[in-house]
Amino acid sequence: MPSAVHLDGITKRFPGVVANDDVDLEVERGTVHALLGENGAGKTTLMNVLYGLYEPTSGEVRLDGKTHAFGSPRDAIDAGIGMIHQHFMLVDPMTVTENITLGNEPRKWGGLAVDRAGSREAVVELADRYGFDVDPDARIEDVSVGEQQRVEILKALYRGADTLILDEPTAVLTPQEVGELFDVLDELTAQGKTIIFITHKLGEAMRAADEISVLRDGRKVGSVDADATTQAELAELMVGREVLLDVDHGTAETGGVVASVSDVAVDDDRGVRAVDGVSFEVRGGEVFGIAGVDGNGQSELVEAVTGLRTPDAGEIRFRGEDVTTASRRDRIDAGMAYVPEDRQDRGLVMEFDLVENGLLGSQHGTELAANGRIDWSKTRGHAQAIIDEYDVRPPDADTDAESLSGGNQQKFIVGREFERDPELVVASHPTRGVDVGSIEFIHERLLELRQQGVAILLVSSKLEEVQGLSDRLAVVYEGEFIDVVDPDETTEEELGLLMAGERPGDDGGGGGEPEPTGNADGTERGGLADRTDAAGGERA
Amino acid sequence: MSTADRARDALARLVDASATERVLISTAALVLSVLIGAVLVLVAGRMTTCTVGEAVYYFGTGFCYDPVVVFDRLFLGALGDPFSGGWSPNGQFAVTLRESTLLLFTGLSVALAFRAGIFNIGTQGQMVVGALATALGVLWASSLVSGALGTVVLIPFGLFVGAVFGGLYGAVPGLLKAYADANEVITTIMLNFIATGIALYLVSGVFKDPESAANQTVPLPEFAQFPALLFGAQQDFSIVALGFGLLAVVALYYVLEHTAFGYDVRTSGVQPEAAEYGGVDAKRTVVASLTLSGALGGIAGAMYVMMVLGTFQTGIPAYGFDGITVSILAGNNPLGVGVAALLFGVLKSGTTVVQFATDVPPQLVGVLRGLIILFVAMPEFFRLLARGLPGTGSKPEAVATDGGAAGDRGGEADE
Repeated sequence: MPSAVHLDGITKRFPGVVANDDVDLEVERGTVHALLGENGAGKTTLMNVLYGLYEPTSGEVRLDGKTHAFGSPRDAIDAGIGMIHQHFMLVDPMTVTENITLGNEPRKWGGLAVDRAGSREAVVELADRYGFDVDPDARIEDVSVGEQQRVEILKALYRGADTLILDEPTAVLTPQEVGELFDVLDELTAQGKTIIFITHKLGEAMRAADEISVLRDGRKVGSVDADATTQAELAELMVGREVLLDVDHGTAETGGVVASVSDVAVDDDRGVRAVDGVSFEVRGGEVFGIAGVDGNGQSELVEAVTGLRTPDAGEIRFRGEDVTTASRRDRIDAGMAYVPEDRQDRGLVMEFDLVENGLLGSQHGTELAANGRIDWSKTRGHAQAIIDEYDVRPPDADTDAESLSGGNQQKFIVGREFERDPELVVASHPTRGVDVGSIEFIHERLLELRQQGVAILLVSSKLEEVQGLSDRLAVVYEGEFIDVVDPDETTEEELGLLMAGERPGDDGGGGGEPEPTGNADGTERGGLADRTDAAGGERA
Repeated sequence: MSTADRARDALARLVDASATERVLISTAALVLSVLIGAVLVLVAGRMTTCTVGEAVYYFGTGFCYDPVVVFDRLFLGALGDPFSGGWSPNGQFAVTLRESTLLLFTGLSVALAFRAGIFNIGTQGQMVVGALATALGVLWASSLVSGALGTVVLIPFGLFVGAVFGGLYGAVPGLLKAYADANEVITTIMLNFIATGIALYLVSGVFKDPESAANQTVPLPEFAQFPALLFGAQQDFSIVALGFGLLAVVALYYVLEHTAFGYDVRTSGVQPEAAEYGGVDAKRTVVASLTLSGALGGIAGAMYVMMVLGTFQTGIPAYGFDGITVSILAGNNPLGVGVAALLFGVLKSGTTVVQFATDVPPQLVGVLRGLIILFVAMPEFFRLLARGLPGTGSKPEAVATDGGAAGDRGGEADE
């Protein structure tokens, strides 16, 4: 029997870049196939060829043995291909039913009116057939991200998809939702659907897929049976060398206090108290980590420290000066580097190329822009240095930020901020959405900075990241520090309980509502660097 | 980097894919709008009556209006008939350049604000304020100096006064937006009415020329007006003013692309959150860019007084509003404003030529002008058209990366 999907010798060239180089990919009907690779390895390009968005430079697409030449996604959809993008394509104020049937609604009155009852019936029937838990009448804006993703899948199925492509489907999901998604995939394959999913997360590929193909620099470097491989093998295939999955953070000489926060309280955008009386200090040569489930005040605290939000009470000092109400500009000038949580709104100007983005924050009073005049050739050199050093792909400073993948955007921001020669680095989720090889590099650079006496404030929802890198680790819950611990003396289970709001010595008290994410799937610590990228706001 | 390298770089940027595409699209837009306009002229020519001798014949049918003549007058007439030997430095071409010069400044005024993400609809009002201030300031100063020295001193002085008062008037909505959260679209529109009203009050009252029936100030002395060098003597045009205009184009381009202030402005314009993250003071940038925008509008007013009218009179034509169209046509790029202002100047000046040379009603000429602007302003339509043509199936979004942008586009295609 021919394979459900057979990509035969696909090459896709763009001016100056070979995105896919003679890639063969065969996927059997009724299986889950993971397409694994680093940011920029060519995974999405390959899938865009299959989905008809790109015409391959050479090579063929065969479905069930029949050769297709797709001119547009419409052709691919007609041939039974469905694609679920990382960023959902749903209309928020419309209902689940309306979104699923949009453009292909059942009609009545001779095609003049939408048959609403018929639409609903069709959606309910479809959801039942695959055992999907969706409310057909709920508005998209009111349902969880996981449910939105199921709606996307139903939308593709409604259009008759036999083969589903999922682009980084877990990036936006909580660990529980990831589990539910994998159940859904099992049900779909049981009913004969074929799934290809794109990921850079080793654990997920092994957990969900039957077979895993690894892409590196546009080439396929191997296909392995998911049951017969190890994470180390996959990581090596992906990166091309052996990867240290565990962080060896050593020790550094601790210097004086660089930043201190005393009794700070911050309100969020709705005027609700998000940070309530937090105090800590960060010394030179020290990584002070903040662990916690996302949404417990970390964002507001970081914004108060970096000058994007004014605290309602308390004092923030930086290098001995009171900076509680100092402008963002003053803090940058005083040597504060900041890797923001939201790279697409804050960290990069999406319409600008990387040369211009390399200047962001340095446009006043630096050697790149002395006396108010920008030296573009120096700025270009600066951007190119970041690109080379931090392995941003494609390595072209003229690329617009918006056409980079999320991981590469992140690498560029991290590079720009780390190379600012800072006194304090505030790093919010510095490796979110970044592939395993680059995570290792970013962690090494962070520890190098610490070695040079830089103070580092690290916020991350990845438990093993904060635990592995920090010298002291605070656990935040509902805007307060539950405890500050020595990460080497604390187990992941203990941290998980703290993150759930259980105070030390507190017997079963604090409501364990948010699940501790750290040990959600019981994997060994250090086994996998990107396992608990929970509830992350990753977008492409 | 040597000068030759720079020149080559500049050239390379000019001929890169998107620039070529823009030129192609503009040409296609012009051709298509002329073709559709020609059909309209023919149809209108069928629906009116004229003597047999005046009619023209196409495809064996008689028409009262000849589209060839109409478009010939609209374009070649505006350029002063360069091919028929009748070209004179004092001819219609000077009118075209006069209009273009004024539109350059209002276009730049709007473009600067738009680049900062601010919709300055108030260029007209800033122009009125600048014009009035220039007239009064120069009248006062002209009692102190005179003759050739007067020209050399008073023209820069008049431009300066226009810029300062236009700038201050632009700063008002800037301050309101930055510190009182007032929507600049509303405030600038309202400030237009206020400017016109106050100007009318002052010029019909204290500053009225007692010897004139019109609401105007005392005329400026001859030496306080732009000199007609080389050409334009009868058409109220001065090449000096155009020189200032081109200087302003280059200066604004330089400010936006090569200074830290310009970087702040552009960043605030496209992504305010990222600008805030990058240490840009949003309030300061809003006030500064609206002030500068108002100053450019004020200079347009100064030009109008010192080059065209020689006095301040109420009822200044809507150059400020045309500046919005010019800026949008130019994609808010200062260099593009230069080209768009010239096109607009041609259309404005050509309209009067058509009215003199033919019986075509002015309303129809207005429609033809509108068509041209409409088509030039919708480049996306032509991109779609080009995509639909056979043999051009390749997609312009050549993004060789993993994820994001390309995927998003895919989703749109999916709908």
